[in-house]
Amino acid sequence: MSADHIVQIFCRVLGTNEVDASSDFFELGGDSLLATRVLSAIARDYGTELLFEDFVDDPSARGLFSKVAAAVP
Amino acid sequence: MNGESMRVIVVGAGLAGLTAAVDLTSAGAEVTVLEARDRVGGRTHGVSVSEGVVADGGGAYLGALHTELLALVREHGLALVSTEMAGDSTFLLADRRTTSATRMPALNAVALGDLFDRLEELVAQVRPEAPWRSPWAGRLDRVSAARWLADEHLHPDAQTFFPLFLGEMMAADPTAISALHMAFYLHSGGGIRFLNAFEGGAQQWRISGGAHLLCQALAERLSQRVRLRQPVCAIDQDGDGVVVHCISDVDGTQSKYFADRVIVAVPPLLAQGIEFRPALRAPRATAATGRGCAIKVHLSYPAALWREQGLSGWSLSAHGPLLSTVDDSPPDQSAGVLTGFVTGAAASAFGPLPSDQKREAVLTHARWLFPQLPPPTRCTVTDWLAEKYSRGCYAALFGLGDWLRLGPTLTEPYGRIHWAGTETSLEFFGLMEGAIRSGRRVATEVIRDGERAVVSGEAMSR
Repeated sequence: MSADHIVQIFCRVLGTNEVDASSDFFELGGDSLLATRVLSAIARDYGTELLFEDFVDDPSARGLFSKVAAAVP
Repeated sequence: MNGESMRVIVVGAGLAGLTAAVDLTSAGAEVTVLEARDRVGGRTHGVSVSEGVVADGGGAYLGALHTELLALVREHGLALVSTEMAGDSTFLLADRRTTSATRMPALNAVALGDLFDRLEELVAQVRPEAPWRSPWAGRLDRVSAARWLADEHLHPDAQTFFPLFLGEMMAADPTAISALHMAFYLHSGGGIRFLNAFEGGAQQWRISGGAHLLCQALAERLSQRVRLRQPVCAIDQDGDGVVVHCISDVDGTQSKYFADRVIVAVPPLLAQGIEFRPALRAPRATAATGRGCAIKVHLSYPAALWREQGLSGWSLSAHGPLLSTVDDSPPDQSAGVLTGFVTGAAASAFGPLPSDQKREAVLTHARWLFPQLPPPTRCTVTDWLAEKYSRGCYAALFGLGDWLRLGPTLTEPYGRIHWAGTETSLEFFGLMEGAIRSGRRVATEVIRDGERAVVSGEAMSR
């Protein structure tokens, strides 16, 4: 597993292809409303419900992936 | 454009009517604007909230997609003020006060994401040029937004958030609008994200001094063509022209105005209240059409004191009256102004209260939201539900069945009668931008139809 899928979620929600695993979601033009849509997509695709605080803590695909990986036993 | 020697009456001196009147005057038409109130501006209105400070009692905010409005603002030398959102947000949800660095409420984020996903899917189905022909339009027009949400079986936090969101976006109680109207409105306004955002969204700026200044500037260009205190009660038309009848609500004086064409630029509920002879073939509003449920409350302070506490002044509450607040302080820092939005069902409950109870409810709510602030020096209530010559704000709410019934004839002229107003604009419906676009559209239409009538020698061009 890698952060690639979360990069794809970022691209879809933000409507851009200019995303890499370390890009800051909010610097890419994301806001809290769009962040919730990333979290709902992660919940659907990984079965892991992250918190909004997880997102703010490191708002990159890599940061979110590390939290998903830590949550999966 | 050439409208020379054509006589046109415009009913309503709001942004739509004034835009149309200015365009037609420039094209050479002889224009008279009839306004029921003793002021121009319609649903834009400046209210005095403290010494020398005027706030927007009605329409206020604009963003980068509002290109026609921005052009008019520039043309008339008015300035923009950025909406101040620096600092933490305040939330009163589940009877608990929290603050946060973002606008994300302390609710389940995945649940809110699910809600926005479903809304996006719904909005994507709308056919913006003809919402009544959207896929599933028949079904979506028959169910309320509340019913639509219930059928989605989302997390309780999504259900908590949904009415707050619709209140803020459209001043609507979810039970009072169709799912189609909700989806259309969110699409029409530039999408959920644009409508919701301050910076980069529909609330990026205000007009310095108030949005009503734009209407006043347009009215100045029209000068004596604008007649105040002329409530229109009936419009006759025949082969020769139109007769517009007014009855003063001060002393009952009756006046008649004659023209070749008339533009009705008032909200649908008011248009429906005019007697047309011969009668309209398609209604402008139905029993299901509702008033936009918005009451604005301005809380005045000596300065924007919340900023000293690191707060933006923006808040969201699960219960009324102040479902949301925004920092609308003047840029010269001469005062602090918080605008409270009482919307949807909360507005219907708050509006009928006597003024001392209104004030008490507002002050109590403000204390819960911002316990460190002193009481406001002034509390100003602008109730659009009670406004006889607006009947609601931001805009009319299309209820069950309305889009299929009203949509196909929304802009269709009835003989010599043409329609304007933000509710006739499929782009930015319900917003100032929609009003201006409707005014532009109707002016072009009147000139075109007038020329056609002359060329074909027809008196009526139905």
